Amino acid sequence: MSSVPATGAVRRPRRRVDLLAWALGIFVLLFMIFLLLPIAAVVVVSFSSASYIAFPMPGYSLQWYWRILEYQPFVDALIVSIKLALSSAACAILLGVPATLWVARSRSRAAGMVGNLLLAPISIPAIVLGFSLLYLLSAMGFGISFTALLISHTVVSIPYICRTVLAVYRALPPDFEEAAAVLGATRWQTFRYTTLPLIRPGIFAGSLFAVLISLDNLPLSFFFGTASTNTLPVVMLSYMQSQFDPSIAAISTVQMLIAVGTLLVLNAVYGVDKLTAA
Amino acid sequence: MTDQAAPATLMAPSNPPPMRRGKFRLATPYWALPVVAYLILFLVVPLASNAVRSVTLGAAATDTWVYYEKLFFDPYYSRIFLETFKVAIIVTVVTLIMGYPVAYFMVRYAGRWNTLIVFCMIAPLLTSIIMRTFGWRVLFARRGLMNVWLTDLGIISRPLAILSEPISVYMGLVHVMVPFMVLSITAVLQGVDLRLEESARVLGASRWRAFCNVTLPLTLDGIATGCILVFVITNGSFLTMLLLGDGKVQTLSLLIYQQFNLTQDVGFAATMGNVLLVTAMICLFLQMRFVRRKGVKS
Repeated sequence: MSSVPATGAVRRPRRRVDLLAWALGIFVLLFMIFLLLPIAAVVVVSFSSASYIAFPMPGYSLQWYWRILEYQPFVDALIVSIKLALSSAACAILLGVPATLWVARSRSRAAGMVGNLLLAPISIPAIVLGFSLLYLLSAMGFGISFTALLISHTVVSIPYICRTVLAVYRALPPDFEEAAAVLGATRWQTFRYTTLPLIRPGIFAGSLFAVLISLDNLPLSFFFGTASTNTLPVVMLSYMQSQFDPSIAAISTVQMLIAVGTLLVLNAVYGVDKLTAA
Repeated sequence: MTDQAAPATLMAPSNPPPMRRGKFRLATPYWALPVVAYLILFLVVPLASNAVRSVTLGAAATDTWVYYEKLFFDPYYSRIFLETFKVAIIVTVVTLIMGYPVAYFMVRYAGRWNTLIVFCMIAPLLTSIIMRTFGWRVLFARRGLMNVWLTDLGIISRPLAILSEPISVYMGLVHVMVPFMVLSITAVLQGVDLRLEESARVLGASRWRAFCNVTLPLTLDGIATGCILVFVITNGSFLTMLLLGDGKVQTLSLLIYQQFNLTQDVGFAATMGNVLLVTAMICLFLQMRFVRRKGVKS
């Protein structure tokens, strides 16, 4: 992540009323409405007192939030989803970070290839990966289980973590590690006391992305879910295909609050602006 | 979040800093072994065996290319094959046309509003795709917000069945994809020096000409990255097509989902998956070529 300033507005010399800026501004406003409208609609509907979706709504209530607490599959699935997201991110950190440290500093051809391999899972259509993995994992005896979910989600988490760690580590000069080594630290001590604290924001940001991606992943999850290991999106999809009531809106709103809360943490730790300044 | 890759994809890795020879390096190549083994076992092997399955399983056991022939030449399936790319191309073009002005505004004019815009753009990326699709259903349902508003305003007399039209699928897809496009373009646009455009203006170019001849060509990298990203992700999505448009928009991903759920024709599903995979690899290759070329130039 370079630290390119977020805007060029400071350098803008024109002071007169700028028609183009106004036109663009209005366009951006409409664009934001387009982005946020469907989400706002869901949040509003989640407070409906009706058992169907229609406007104008007859009244407001919290009954759909109670309903999702009572509807066991939602609660179970949310727990499975969170467990899965956290453990797959942890596995991806353990696997991905050491390799990233090597890829970031090596200029060899092999390092370049490994770097591409680490980022490859992002570019592969998830449904194809899920479908292909299902046969391999069944052949290996994992079949449909939490382990199978964990393996598949870890594959997809690796690129998100490696990407941010790569960016953070490459921005660091190697001097700190050299200093540690010159002063007699072992490799492990250098990593533990010098490198790790420096790359921690990258690991943190990357795992947050990985967690959020995993929480919402459907194309992998629906291949491996059993009644006891279905993730939230899978349960929501099957519920939605049979019923069109506001409980989906309520659970979606809860899920969104989790995600927005995570984003706020991310912003505090890492700075959301920096995400556009690649 | 999907069906789709995520905000982190937008952060292209920067080039390694110049390295002095013979200095200490913390990591050794061995540190990469576990993850390489893991990804070969759980990424490369399954995808490769999927490709093998597409020419050996079921009907392909006797006639190797039968599934590919079916996919490319059977009128029903070739239509779906073409529609997959039609949908992806339309969505890519629409997101580009919508996204570029937004990116331009963010970089050139937004000032302190930039953070707010970025936040609003990333927030939907973090809501579940199911929620967003559900939102369009709420808006467009027979007694949904749109129909109620339009009826109240007297624009329409009877509720429209937007949900069973392909347009709802396109709306849903554009909604999901457009932030990727905007963020890809802003990433590059931020690096374009405003003074170049101003020089063109000082030298007498109209604003439009300065934009077309100076700024636009300098942001082609961002446009290409965004287009490839949107194209690839759209190719792999099936949820929007499943939940919106009453199944009127049929694509390969949706067909894979249905083959798995209903007909269980593994060989054919493997074939379609392989075609999607090859398409994604071609796009990835194009992007890598593109980035490398840029590296040489700069």
